[in-house]
Amino acid sequence: MSTDTTTASELRMDPSSSRPPARRGNPWAPSLHGVGLMTSIELRRRRPTTKGYIFYGILFALVAAICILAAVFTQADRSSANFELVLILVLGVGMLIAPSLSATSINGDSGEGVLAPLQMSHLTAGDIAFGKVIASWLVSVIALVALSPFLIYTYLSSGWHLGEVAMTIGAILFTVLAFTAVGLAWSSLAARAVASVSLAHLTTGVFLIGTLVAFAIGGALVTEDTGERDRYIDYEQLTPDAQAALEEAYTTGDYSTLDAADYPCVDSEWAYTVTHTDQIAWILLLNPAVMVIETAPIVDPETWEKDGRAAPGTFALLHQQISDARLGPVEGEATRWVYDECDDLFGSGAEAAEMTEEEMEAQWAADEAAAAEREQQLANLPRNPWPALGVLAVLFLGSMTIVVRRLRVPYKKLRSGTRVA
Amino acid sequence: MTTTIEAEAPPYAAIAVQGVARSFGDVRAVDNATLTVPAGSVTALIGPNGCGKTTLMLMLAGLLRPDEGTISVAGHDPRTDAAAVRAAIGWMPDQLGSWDNLTCLQTLTLMGQAYRVNKADARARGEHLLGRVHLEEFAHRPARVLSRGQKQRLSLARALVHDPQVLLLDEPANGLDPRSRIELRDLVRELAGEGRAVLISSHVLAELDEMVDGAVFMSKGRTMGDEAAAMVAEARTKYRVDALDRDALIAALRSSSVPLEETDTGVILRIDGDDNAADALAWIVGKGVRVHRFGPVGSALEQTYMAMNEERR
Repeated sequence: MSTDTTTASELRMDPSSSRPPARRGNPWAPSLHGVGLMTSIELRRRRPTTKGYIFYGILFALVAAICILAAVFTQADRSSANFELVLILVLGVGMLIAPSLSATSINGDSGEGVLAPLQMSHLTAGDIAFGKVIASWLVSVIALVALSPFLIYTYLSSGWHLGEVAMTIGAILFTVLAFTAVGLAWSSLAARAVASVSLAHLTTGVFLIGTLVAFAIGGALVTEDTGERDRYIDYEQLTPDAQAALEEAYTTGDYSTLDAADYPCVDSEWAYTVTHTDQIAWILLLNPAVMVIETAPIVDPETWEKDGRAAPGTFALLHQQISDARLGPVEGEATRWVYDECDDLFGSGAEAAEMTEEEMEAQWAADEAAAAEREQQLANLPRNPWPALGVLAVLFLGSMTIVVRRLRVPYKKLRSGTRVA
Repeated sequence: MTTTIEAEAPPYAAIAVQGVARSFGDVRAVDNATLTVPAGSVTALIGPNGCGKTTLMLMLAGLLRPDEGTISVAGHDPRTDAAAVRAAIGWMPDQLGSWDNLTCLQTLTLMGQAYRVNKADARARGEHLLGRVHLEEFAHRPARVLSRGQKQRLSLARALVHDPQVLLLDEPANGLDPRSRIELRDLVRELAGEGRAVLISSHVLAELDEMVDGAVFMSKGRTMGDEAAAMVAEARTKYRVDALDRDALIAALRSSSVPLEETDTGVILRIDGDDNAADALAWIVGKGVRVHRFGPVGSALEQTYMAMNEERR
């Protein structure tokens, strides 16, 4: 048996140096080494198969085709529309792929029997959770890198500044990261991959589309009826003579021959509505796509050329729409121009109708200036991506907390319908 | 000689389990389990399907929290030092899982790194272990090409990457060909010889007989302590004696009033120890009986298992 002894001590020799360090307690916090290792394990083992590469190839070709077509069909002028299109595509692709991957990550591994051996190792629950979320998220970063030629090409004519590009791309990647974490949380909660993937996309849908629906429905709650009174001449009570005289006067424009006593007036009341969107604009601001738009640079509709910008593009116009919702209806607009036929014909309005051309032009100019001022105000309204960023941060941290708790061993409870290994 | 003494670790209970219980909802998977596994020995965990073996192993591995009872693995309590318990354990799960598009060597290297072994050491260790489980030729091939038995061996190698003091092997012989089974048996003995404590569960009882130092029987979530041990000890004393002339054999034994059990071809005797067996054989042959078969009756574990199953009916 002495030979056995030497083999045994030999065997001990080489591993003794590789014996892992001792540990105490039951740590859960992620470490740089652990997260890095877990990420690299995930990236290696989730390397796409041949079919996967074909799928990604087709997806890339589609996106590239959209970008090229858009570039071909727009004028050579400075325009940010194409750049913004590429950004939207990056967001869309990221939101589709990364949460799908993360949403099968934990229950899939558990079903395959490769999760528990990792939980047995020195990797903590935090290492596994963050490694997995980063690995899935990196796929969308790779998509961004794959699309970077289009991004750079369209950026050159977009009039955006580099810092603004970095900020918006950062916002996009953070959005994707948050929803990747949500997918991972679902995969730690649901036993089956089908359930977790659909729940992950449902969550994304709630934030992307649900907020818009909620905004539309919420609009009904903050809409109030405003009564308005119009007055007009009661044609039914007119004598044929008076009627003829009125028609005559309308054609000639000379109302002085009419006698007010011949023309009885009637009141007519009708309702119109004012929607105070400023009260529900926060729902809109929770939308991650709105948040991304809100990080885009402000383009002044008047001075863009002087500012070295492209003409207001998709993001700038959407920012105006969002600002419109945030500011709500214009105060002055609430008191509408009341139509009063009788007053126009016989009262103070009769004089107004005889406005000189200069006066009318001045009136139009004033109207136009008011509209332009409103547009200026909308376009330059300070951007507000903060509500959505806050919600995304809460989603991310909440999801990661759930995942870490679900990955910690020893388990107190198991997902129903699952085994440990 | 000093090296031999050095290699012999003082036998202490590497695994000590006292009154452990665990339920899943209404199902009491493990009701009351008590066992000890000394360092440097192999203990079998035997029981019918669904008797709680895997659940017990998961609790020992520090993956599942027991509802009641105390566990100590390599001197650590999984309730307070779960990480230390997990680090001390090499666990080979009953469910085979492998990273299909990583090679065997990559798998072991990454696993080693997951135990905080540096990459070069982990890789060297991986190469060494692949040799030990006879998978060298698959070192650079993806795990998906492995057969079931080969995956089983990779799983065993994976359980050894961090040189654990305690090994929990859940059905390691499943799907192995006869040659691999014998190799597994030798490997397990070797691992115990290195001072590790091994707890092994299997249904192939004949295989375990030659491998284990002790056995723990489980039934309906309970470990059968002394009662089962007594049955095993009793089963081990049974010797089968077959003679060309069965009646002459029985007559010779009866004349000296030796207690015996008759079988179709001879008798079963109870003999304690090898010395006594040699004496008994000499005595029978001395009586002029032509004995053509003399040896222990089959597998002691199997007999005990079957006897217990009968009791349950």
